[in-house]
Amino acid sequence: MDLSLIELTLRVALLATAINIPAAVFVGWLVARKRVRGSLLIEVAVSLPLAVPPVVVGFTLLLLLGREGPVGAAVHRAVGADIVFTWASAALASAVVSFPLVARAVMAAMAEVDDRLEMSARTLGAGPLRVLFTVTVPLAYRGILAGALLGFVRALSEFGATITVAGNIPGKTQTLPLAIYSSVQVRDDATAIRLAVASIVLAVATLVVHNWLLARTRKAR
Amino acid sequence: MRARPPAANAARAGPALTFDVVKRLGGFELRCSAEFGGGITAVFGPSGSGKTTLLNCVAGLTKPDDGEIAILGATVYSASRRVNLPPERRRIGYVFQDSALFPHMSVMDNIRYGHRLTPESERALSVEDAVEMLHLTGLLDRGTEGLSGGERQRVALARALAASPRLLLLDEPLSSLDLAFRGMVLRHLRQAHSELGVPMVYVSHSMSEVMAIADDALALSDGASVIQGPPRAALVDPRMSGLADYATLENLLDAEVARKLPDGGQAELRVGSARLFALNVEAEPGERVTIAIRSSDILVALDVPTRISAQNVLTGTVEDVHVQGRRVILYVDAGARMIAEITPDALRALGLSAGDQVHLVIKSASIMALDPGAR
Repeated sequence: MDLSLIELTLRVALLATAINIPAAVFVGWLVARKRVRGSLLIEVAVSLPLAVPPVVVGFTLLLLLGREGPVGAAVHRAVGADIVFTWASAALASAVVSFPLVARAVMAAMAEVDDRLEMSARTLGAGPLRVLFTVTVPLAYRGILAGALLGFVRALSEFGATITVAGNIPGKTQTLPLAIYSSVQVRDDATAIRLAVASIVLAVATLVVHNWLLARTRKAR
Repeated sequence: MRARPPAANAARAGPALTFDVVKRLGGFELRCSAEFGGGITAVFGPSGSGKTTLLNCVAGLTKPDDGEIAILGATVYSASRRVNLPPERRRIGYVFQDSALFPHMSVMDNIRYGHRLTPESERALSVEDAVEMLHLTGLLDRGTEGLSGGERQRVALARALAASPRLLLLDEPLSSLDLAFRGMVLRHLRQAHSELGVPMVYVSHSMSEVMAIADDALALSDGASVIQGPPRAALVDPRMSGLADYATLENLLDAEVARKLPDGGQAELRVGSARLFALNVEAEPGERVTIAIRSSDILVALDVPTRISAQNVLTGTVEDVHVQGRRVILYVDAGARMIAEITPDALRALGLSAGDQVHLVIKSASIMALDPGAR
């Protein structure tokens, strides 16, 4: 029971991270390319999920992804299935909530790359996308990974948005934080403590790797 | 030995670069138009005069606010026709002041980067030839961190040349180098130009470098062109004062070691058809070095001086005499073209003018070999 719970939690956080990395790199690229104009707006938009209550994020997703929502209705017509109250919607909720952490770290790492290297690559015949993948991302990869891990650890602990859009269905959408909440609700303190310890262990392990990566990034500079 | 690139032939047909650009950046405005030939054109001026902005506009890294830019007759930017080719489609090489080598790639991968992206039909130089030309064979598998400044600039030059550019832009390529490496990089630049015929735009502060390498010079001040013409004429133009650093004007000359004297550091050098003795030359016979001689370290005599301690007395003809305030600059052809600086009093005493025969006295200790060893 505990193992499948951890497995689901990891699966949700991993999918959330897998969505966030390319999205954050894309936003970092947009901001770096467009320089001044519009970048303030993008930066505010990127940080917004960090600033609003997670339940607002979940509710917004519910409106969008629900069977009556624009995205949910289209998906239902196309594949005949709902997104809401599935583990995928839990991953989506975790992705949105943790996106600001990933994006800010990735944007900082990409901005650190000396633009003369990117300019050199352009004069050597590389288009903007090739420069992104052969120069910017390889040079920023440690920062990108560190950002991804930070997002991953946040996704592991996601609660408010997840319960709103994915519910709390044991074996289906119930991640560690939701299971802990349920145990507390039924006064099963032993289970709650056991699961809390598991989530702390997961978090500590991820943060250790994260800090190790950051230290290596600084040393490499 | 090496095939001449098609670009080089095209360069001879018309101007390599024509531009008429306006670019505003904050309170600064670049407003400049000129035409550069197929040789090496120096762009100089104080910092903040717009040299780098101009290069960036030509390279496509900065979009001008107005104007036209054409490379080898092909428009790369035109405000009126709404043309603005991105840098990767302009086929220009750009060597930055600090090399800008890719730190996550080996020397070889740096050099290959642009070559791979050049269509096969337009490749004028193979990676192997670029490596050979810049003497990089021993460094190919290395990373870029351990390289010396001179090596970094040679790699940057090889990387740019391997992409077969139609025009090479150099932004103060020597300014971050130790003195000893300057001569070497300068020599490689000259060689690349004579072998490949790539037109070059060379941004510099140093009048000595400009005199040594450029056929044509453009002086910028406050974003506007002040003078354009041969470096010799530009150097003595009264409008030049304060624009370039030539407090110490040096002769930077290409030399070949003829022989080493048995007593150690002394060497006999061939410079053009002249021969010079110099101290502390590490290069071996047959190898090339660049030497620096300060123009003010050269004595000028009308008669052949006898019984003097200086090792070198070259006989030559005065080509030109330029007087600028308290400075008198003599251009002398003594088998090699030399610049000597004397005082107005000395000029009066000797009564020198173009066509006179003079003897240049140079101490061997005044000749500095700008090479850290063999290459």
